[in-house]
Amino acid sequence: MANNISVVENGKKQFIVVKIGSEQYGIDISYVDNIVRMQKITRVPKAQSYFKGIINLRGEIVPVMSIRTKMDLEPDVFTDVTRIIILKLEEHGVLGLIVDEVKEVVTLGPDEIDKVAYDAKNNKSNFINGVGKHGDELISLFDTNSIIDETETV
Amino acid sequence: MDVSQYLEIFIDETNGHLQNLSDCIMSLEKDPENMDTINEIFRAAHSLKGMAGTMGFKRMQRLTHDMENVFQEVRSGNMSVTSGLVDVLFQCLDAIDAYLENVKESSEEGTDDNEAIIQELNDILAAGTGNVPAKEEKPAEKDKPAENADEDRFQKKYLDIEFSEKEKEELRVSEEKGMKLYGMTVYIQEDCLLKAARAFLVFKAVEDFGNIIVYNPTSQDIEDEKFGFDFSFYLASEAELDKIVEVSKAVSEIEEVVGEKVEYKELTAAAAKKEEEAAAAAKEQEQKKEAVAAIPAAGSKPQAQAQAQNGKKQAAGKPVTNRTVRVDIEKLDALMNQVSELIIAKNSLVSIGSTSDGGVGSSNSQAFHEQIEYLERITTGLHESVMKVRMVPIESVVQKFPRMIRDLSKKLDKKMELYMTGEDTELDRTVVDQIGDPLQHLLRNSADHGLESAEVRKKRGKPETGSIHLNAFQEGNNVIIEVSDDGNGIDTENVKNKAIERGLITPEQGAALSQKEIIDFLFMPSFSMAKQISDVSGRGVGLDVVKSNIEALGGDVEVKSILGEGSKFTVRLPLTLAIIQALMVEVRGEKYAISLGSIETIEEILADEIKFVQAKEVIHIRGMVIPLIRLDQLLDCEPEEEEKESLTVIIVRKGDKFAGLIVDELNGQQEIVIKSLGKYINNSTKIISGATVLGDGEVALILDVNTLF
Repeated sequence: MANNISVVENGKKQFIVVKIGSEQYGIDISYVDNIVRMQKITRVPKAQSYFKGIINLRGEIVPVMSIRTKMDLEPDVFTDVTRIIILKLEEHGVLGLIVDEVKEVVTLGPDEIDKVAYDAKNNKSNFINGVGKHGDELISLFDTNSIIDETETV
Repeated sequence: MDVSQYLEIFIDETNGHLQNLSDCIMSLEKDPENMDTINEIFRAAHSLKGMAGTMGFKRMQRLTHDMENVFQEVRSGNMSVTSGLVDVLFQCLDAIDAYLENVKESSEEGTDDNEAIIQELNDILAAGTGNVPAKEEKPAEKDKPAENADEDRFQKKYLDIEFSEKEKEELRVSEEKGMKLYGMTVYIQEDCLLKAARAFLVFKAVEDFGNIIVYNPTSQDIEDEKFGFDFSFYLASEAELDKIVEVSKAVSEIEEVVGEKVEYKELTAAAAKKEEEAAAAAKEQEQKKEAVAAIPAAGSKPQAQAQAQNGKKQAAGKPVTNRTVRVDIEKLDALMNQVSELIIAKNSLVSIGSTSDGGVGSSNSQAFHEQIEYLERITTGLHESVMKVRMVPIESVVQKFPRMIRDLSKKLDKKMELYMTGEDTELDRTVVDQIGDPLQHLLRNSADHGLESAEVRKKRGKPETGSIHLNAFQEGNNVIIEVSDDGNGIDTENVKNKAIERGLITPEQGAALSQKEIIDFLFMPSFSMAKQISDVSGRGVGLDVVKSNIEALGGDVEVKSILGEGSKFTVRLPLTLAIIQALMVEVRGEKYAISLGSIETIEEILADEIKFVQAKEVIHIRGMVIPLIRLDQLLDCEPEEEEKESLTVIIVRKGDKFAGLIVDELNGQQEIVIKSLGKYINNSTKIISGATVLGDGEVALILDVNTLF
C-alpha cells in the first residue's frame, strides 16, 4: 500500500482495465467504489434506453448503465465474467457500469498516456480522454465525468 | 462566559417576539383601541430591544427602540393607530427579521442601518405627538416614564461589602502601587431578561481600565444569575472614574451606575464602623430595599425573600425548555434510515419464514413465526414513533400568511380577508419546510387573479371584502390543504383562447376539451393569464412551479372552479416520505408496489365485462363507470400472447376520481421503505416514484398512481 501511495505521488494513476467487446478500457481507480458480479437488474420503465435498470447493493438502490448501448455497440451478452463496476462520484452519487470482463489494475505515468483529440462526430470518443500504453497493449481511458454529464443532458 | 452562548436563545426568542408582534399589529389594525394588544406590543418591542442590546446588536436595538417610542406614545394615548403606522411597523418587523437572518448566518446583525424606516417612524412620531423626540434620549428614561428616577434608589451599596483578609490585602497592594481604588454599584433595570449577560458586559467593559478586586455577589453567583438587580465591585485602575462609569452605562438596560474613588484606610474603617451601625442601618435599608426588590449585601430577611422571588421568576420562565429537546433534523434522518434498514431486515426474516413453511411444520417454526410477528409489531411501533417525532404542525408555515394577505390587500387595492383552519394539522418536517412557497403562491394567485376589485364585486352582489380560505386537514394517509376564494373563478373560455392564441392547440381541438383539460393549461410552464405583469404575479412562473414543487414532495394539486363564484385549489400531500404500507403486485413477472393509501378495492372481473366508452376500456361496477389502465401496456412490458378470461383489477382513487389497474398477480401487503432512483435515471413521466428493497433482496419499483389520472 505504501508503495501505491508513492506511485501516485509521482503523478502516476492507477486504472482498472476492463474489456468491452474487443477493446480494452481503463477506469480511474479513484472513482471505483466496488466491483460486483452480474445480478438481477430490475428494469425501470420509461428510463433512457442505456439504463438497464437498478440493482440492490447492500440495501442501496444503484442505477446500472449499459456502456455498450451508450456507445452504440451490440447489446450486452451476460456471461459469468460479466461484472458491474460501481462508480462513486461526488455529488452525483453511485452508478453501475456493465463491462464484459475485468482484467487487471495497471499504473500509468503521464508519459504513458496520450491525450485524444476531441472528435464531435464520433460519439464513442466523447467518453475517452486519453489512451494509455501498457506494454504492447493500448487502453482507452474513460473520462468518468463525461459519462455522467452525457447522462444528465440526454 | 460569553455572549455567544445566548445566541441560540436570542434567535429563538426574537423569532417568537416577531411573530407575536406581527399577530398583535394585525389585530391592532382591526381594533386600534384595544389597550391589551397595545400593551402586549409594547412589551414585545421592549423585550426585543433589551435582547438586541444585550447581544450587542446596536442597529437592531436602535430600530426597536424607536418602535418602542412610538408605542409609548400610542399607549399613553397621544397617538392613534393608523393604517400608515401599521405599514411602517410591518416594515420594521421585516427589517428586524432581516437582521435576525444575518445573525443566524454570521452571528452579526449586518450593516443595514434602515435609516429610511427609522426616519419614517420618527416622522410619524413627530406628526402624531407634535414634537420631535430627541434621538439621543437615554432609553432608561424613556422606558420607565412612570417611575421618576429616584435618587434614593441608587445607593452606594459597595460600601456595605465586607472584605475578606485576602481582598483587603489586594486592595492595599493595589493602592500602594499607585492605582486608584473605585467602589461601584451597578443597577440593572428590573425587567431585564439576561442579567448575567449584562453584568458580564459591564465587567468586560470595566476590565479594560483595571482589575476588579472584590465582587459582590461573587462572580460565580453573578454568572449563574443568582443576584437581584444590582451588583457591586471594587476596581483598581489608573483611569478616571467618569470614564469607567460612562462605559458601564453604555451597556444596555443598565439603569444607573454609582461609584466614587475610595481609599483603603477609609474602607476598612467604614467596614468596622458599619458593623456597629448594622442594627440601625438594617432596619432603614430593609424598607428601601424592599421597594427596589434588591438583595442587600448583608444577609438578612429581605434577602431571603428577594431570592425566593427571584427563584420563582426563574422557575416560571424556564419549565418549557426542560421538557423538550432540540434535535438536529439530520439526526432524525439518520434514525429514520436505521429504522428503514430494520424494516428491510425484518421483511427478509418474514420472507424466510414464509418459504421455510413448506418444510416440516414443527413447533420450532411456529415459535419462529410468533417471534417474527412480535418483531413486526416492534418495528411498526418504532417507525410510528420516529414518524411522530418528525411531525410538526403546519402552523409555522401558515402563520405568516395573514400578514402577507394584508400587504397584498394594500398593494392590489382590494379588500380581502384570510380565514385559516387546521393550522395544527401535522406533516413530516421535510414536507412542512417545502410547502410554504407553493401555498404562498396559491394565496397570491387567489388574491391577484381570483378576487375581483371592490366595484366588480359590488356589481355582482358579493360582499365588498373578498374572502380567501386556507383549510388544512388529514384524510387517510394524506394531508389536504385547500386554498379557495370567492372571486371570479377561472374563465375557461379565456384560458382556451389563450392556449389557441399561443398555438398550443387548434380551435377544433379546443372545442373538444373538457373543463379539467383546459384548467390544466394553467399548470403549464410560462402560461400566465394575467393581462399585466404585476409584482404580485403574472410572470408565468407560477402554477407550474407550484405543481412541480408539490409533486416533488409526492403530492399533487387539483383545481375546481366555477366561473363567477370562485375557485378552489386542493393540495394533497403524503403524511410521510419514507415508509409506506403498500400492496405488492406483479406484472409480467415484474414486481411493483402501490401505496395502500390510494387503493379503494380490488376486484376480479371477467374479460367480457370490459366495455368501451370513447374507445377507452372501462368497467361498470357498483354504479360507477371506471376507466381501466392496463399496467403491462403502460409499463412497456412484453405483450401477453392470449387474453386471460379473468382479470385482477385494483381500483385506485385520487380525490373523487377512480381508475382500475389491471395486474397479473397480487403479492400481499407489505411495509416498504421508499428509496430514490437517483438523479441519473430519466423519470420524466413520474410513473415510478421510487424503488424499494424486498425481503429477498430483490428490488421492486413503486408506482405513483396519482400520475395516472
